Parts: sequence; structure tokens; C-alpha cells
Amino acid sequence: MTMQTVLSDIGSINDKYVMFNRFTEDSDPGDSKFLFSAKDNLTSKDFETCCGSRILEGYHPVFDATAIAKMRNAGGKLIGKTNMDEFGFGTFSANSGFGIPRNPFDLERACGGSSGGSACAAAVIEDHVSLGVSTGGSICCPASFCGVYGIAPTYGRVSRYGLIDYGNSLDKIGLLSAKASDLTRYLPVISGRDERDPTSCVQPELEIKGDRIRSVAVPKEAAEGLSKDVSEAFLNSLETLKGMGIDVEYVDMPALKYAMPAYYVLATSEASTNLARYVGMRYGHQDGDLSLKFDDYFTYFRSKYFGDEAKRRILLGTYTRMAGFRDRYYAKALKVRMYVIDAYKQILKDHDAVLAPTMPFVAPRFDDISKMTPVESYKADYLTVPANLAGTPHLSVPCGYNADGMPIGMQFVADHWNEDRLLTMANEWDKAFDVRKAEVSL
Amino acid sequence: MDREIVERVARAAHISLTEEELAKYSQDLTDILDYFKILDEAPDFEGFGVNPIEVADVVREDEPKMEFDPDELLKDMNTYDGYVRGPRLS
Repeated sequence: MTMQTVLSDIGSINDKYVMFNRFTEDSDPGDSKFLFSAKDNLTSKDFETCCGSRILEGYHPVFDATAIAKMRNAGGKLIGKTNMDEFGFGTFSANSGFGIPRNPFDLERACGGSSGGSACAAAVIEDHVSLGVSTGGSICCPASFCGVYGIAPTYGRVSRYGLIDYGNSLDKIGLLSAKASDLTRYLPVISGRDERDPTSCVQPELEIKGDRIRSVAVPKEAAEGLSKDVSEAFLNSLETLKGMGIDVEYVDMPALKYAMPAYYVLATSEASTNLARYVGMRYGHQDGDLSLKFDDYFTYFRSKYFGDEAKRRILLGTYTRMAGFRDRYYAKALKVRMYVIDAYKQILKDHDAVLAPTMPFVAPRFDDISKMTPVESYKADYLTVPANLAGTPHLSVPCGYNADGMPIGMQFVADHWNEDRLLTMANEWDKAFDVRKAEVSL
Repeated sequence: MDREIVERVARAAHISLTEEELAKYSQDLTDILDYFKILDEAPDFEGFGVNPIEVADVVREDEPKMEFDPDELLKDMNTYDGYVRGPRLS
């Protein structure tokens, strides 16, 4: 697939896989060095930006997110904005006000979420890199389900300027690609200090030195609750790692069991305040009756245009911040976050990375997803949430395929600012493991 | 979570719920909060941070500047005479 072919075929590609909410009509790559896409919660001047939500329909940003601007400056052409769960609220990209991306290995299955469209684009389009965003696992989960590489860097490594907030103490911009080498090529492009995002200004420089992961710790707690096919693929991968000269040791990490509830308390608390700005003024739909009192006007928009999961998380986050409940939930969750960070730091004194499967099962079918309760859906994130809560960088690599040919992934977590080891691992793993491409036909 | 609390929370969040939604979210939030009870068992770890990494204060000189053309910013907004239009305050 040349750049010209991709641009010519993008409409028919999207008809089949539904990875884009908006895509370019310009079929001329011009002087572009590469094509890239971006999750639809990153602002861009040339595309409507909706964050998967009907409430933002019609929002045309006047500026590029820093990550998008940097990719353009490096010679990239932004070809589309990828479908996602509304504001990132989901594990399967099925909670979207727009299109639901289809898994390239089985169109009846989900791509994972919430950067599902990005993972789908990375798997389907040759030589493609996509900007994703992870709050609780939204890069590694879809990377695992779609059989591609995904990296979520340290919190603060990539400027969040132009990223529409979900949980601002958790959100991280990263990359998805079918090529391990793309992560090494583009992470330095999007990283760096940006005065518009103070959380990016404390970072040490990202140095690509080729530091290796020589030992991994596998938490016993993370090996529980896995489906048989994921467990088998993971155990086989541990043998492959040992064959690469990497020490593998099982460890206890009891802090992991508290990460999930702490994450959902913090994420929904922050989301409920961040989404308070969407009231039918300034952004998106603004077609309400201005003669209404402001309470009624705001309520009209929010009730009409927020989706089911967005309402659920706003209600939850509003509750956990309310007087009388705040200490039990929000304050406690902040302490648990430090406990989880400390648990990682203790293990990473003796090991270069913590390793577990990325997701406990392969990409589920859409009809099975529709039967899941909210708690069942949240629990699916238990392997990806801890590293996100801790703000530690993490990488998902394809590590196996089940009997139906569905991809399985495993996730390496390194210490803060140690992305270099993860990038080296991705490239080494790519040589040791036979990564399959999805069969793409239009 | 009982329906009265869900109604109070929804009012604070500017979301109106139908009877059906009220019943559904009451049940969902009850299930979710039941799951969160495990937090009560977590060790009382010393200290807490609002961010997962230490974030230094970054300040700049307070110099007025015009980064965006106001007309560009207002182009998709409901405006009157350069002001954003909004609903009644009372």
C-alpha cells in the first residue's frame, strides 16, 4: 500500500472497518513523509473533533494538539480522526456516539478501547502509526485485541495540550503501530517539554540508548482470572523470553487488587468535573431554548447528548466527590495510588519490568459485550489499570493467537521515564516472535 | 444506592433521568460501590499526590498576548455582538 493508495482507498477501508470518525478527502500525499491518524480526543484544525460524543458534534478546534503538531512538523499527514468510546469511557470502543470500529481479525468482534479506531487503523493500513490516548489502558487494550504494538509513555512525557480531558491526572498520549520500530521512531517526535502543559515540564530527556530489559517480574495476582488461551500464550511467551536471555521471576504484588477501584474513583471524579463544561454553549450543539433558566438549559443538553456510559460515570464521579463521601472514596483512592506506585518501585529495584498479559481474554464478540454489566466491563481492565494509575510507561506486544486466530498481547511496565527499555524490548520481541498480520480485503 | 441519592447526584450533575434510567443507574451504582468496598481494606499508606509524578510549579511572566483570532474562536459559537449567548440566570 503506497500513501497514494491509502488515500485513494480510505473511504472503502473505513466502510469495512469503521476506524475513522472523520477522514481526509485529499488523495494527494504531496511532500508527506508518512501518514498518521489520531484519536478523536486530540484537537486538530482540519477535522471536526467529537471525542466520540454527540455533545461535541460540530466542534471545529482552532488549533492542533501539540502531539499532532509535532507529527505534522516531522513530515506526517494526518489522514483521519479515529473512533473511540465517548470521552474514553469504555473497554471495547462500543460506547461511541458515532462508529464502532471492527476487529481486523474478526469483524464480529471489538477492537478494544478506548483507542479502538487507532488500533484498527494500525492493524489494517500498512506503514501506519496512530496517536492513541490511555487513561486506564486505552492504548494497550486495543493493541492487544488488534495484534499490534502499543506504548503509553510515562505520565507527563507527551504534552497533553489539545487533548480533551477525561482524567487529567491519568491521561497519556502514546502510539500504536504494527511495526515495533515505529514506536522508536515516533515517540521521540511527540515527547518533550511544552510550557502549555506544566505536567510535561519535569521530564528528563528521552534518550534512546538501547537499554535492555534483562529481568521481568510476573505478579502472581496478575496470572489469576485469565482465559485458558491467554494463559497458554503467556506461558509460552515466558519461555521465549527466557530463550532471549531474560530472567523471569514470579513475585507477590498485593497492591494490584486495590488499583481497579482506586482508578475508577479518581477517573470518574476527574471526568465529572472535566465534563461540566459541556452545557450547550461554546462547543458542539448549541441549539437549545435560550429563554430557559440556565439550570434547565444545561440539563437539557447534557441529558440529550451524553451517552449511557458517560452519564453513569458522571453520576459516579459526582457522588464520590460529594461532602460526606469524599474521604471514603476520593481521598482514599489518592493514597492507594501512592501505595501502587510504591509497589512498582519496590519490585523495579530488582527487575527491569513488570510483566503480565495485557487483557484477560481475547477480543470479545459484540453480542457478548452487550450482555456485560458495568462492573464486569470495568473488571476487564484489571491488568491495564495499575500501570495507568501509577503513571508508569507500559508497552503491549502481540504474544500469541488462539485457535480462532485472535491475537493475544502481553504488557511490560517499566519505571517512570524508562521508555527506552520498552522500545528496545519491542524491537527485540519483533525479531523473536512471529507477528501475524490481519488479512485485509476491501 | 437508593433512588433519592441518585436523584440528588443527577441534579448536581445537571442530568435529568427518566424513571427507567433512575432504576437502572441506582442498581448499577449500587453494584459498583459494592465492588469499591475493597478500598476500605487497603493499607492506610502515608501521603498522597494529585499526580502520579512530582509536578513542579511552572510560572511565566504575565504578559498579555493574542494567540488566537477572537473571530476564529467565536465562529462556531452562538453569539451576539461579539459575546457568547447563554440562557437566563434567573
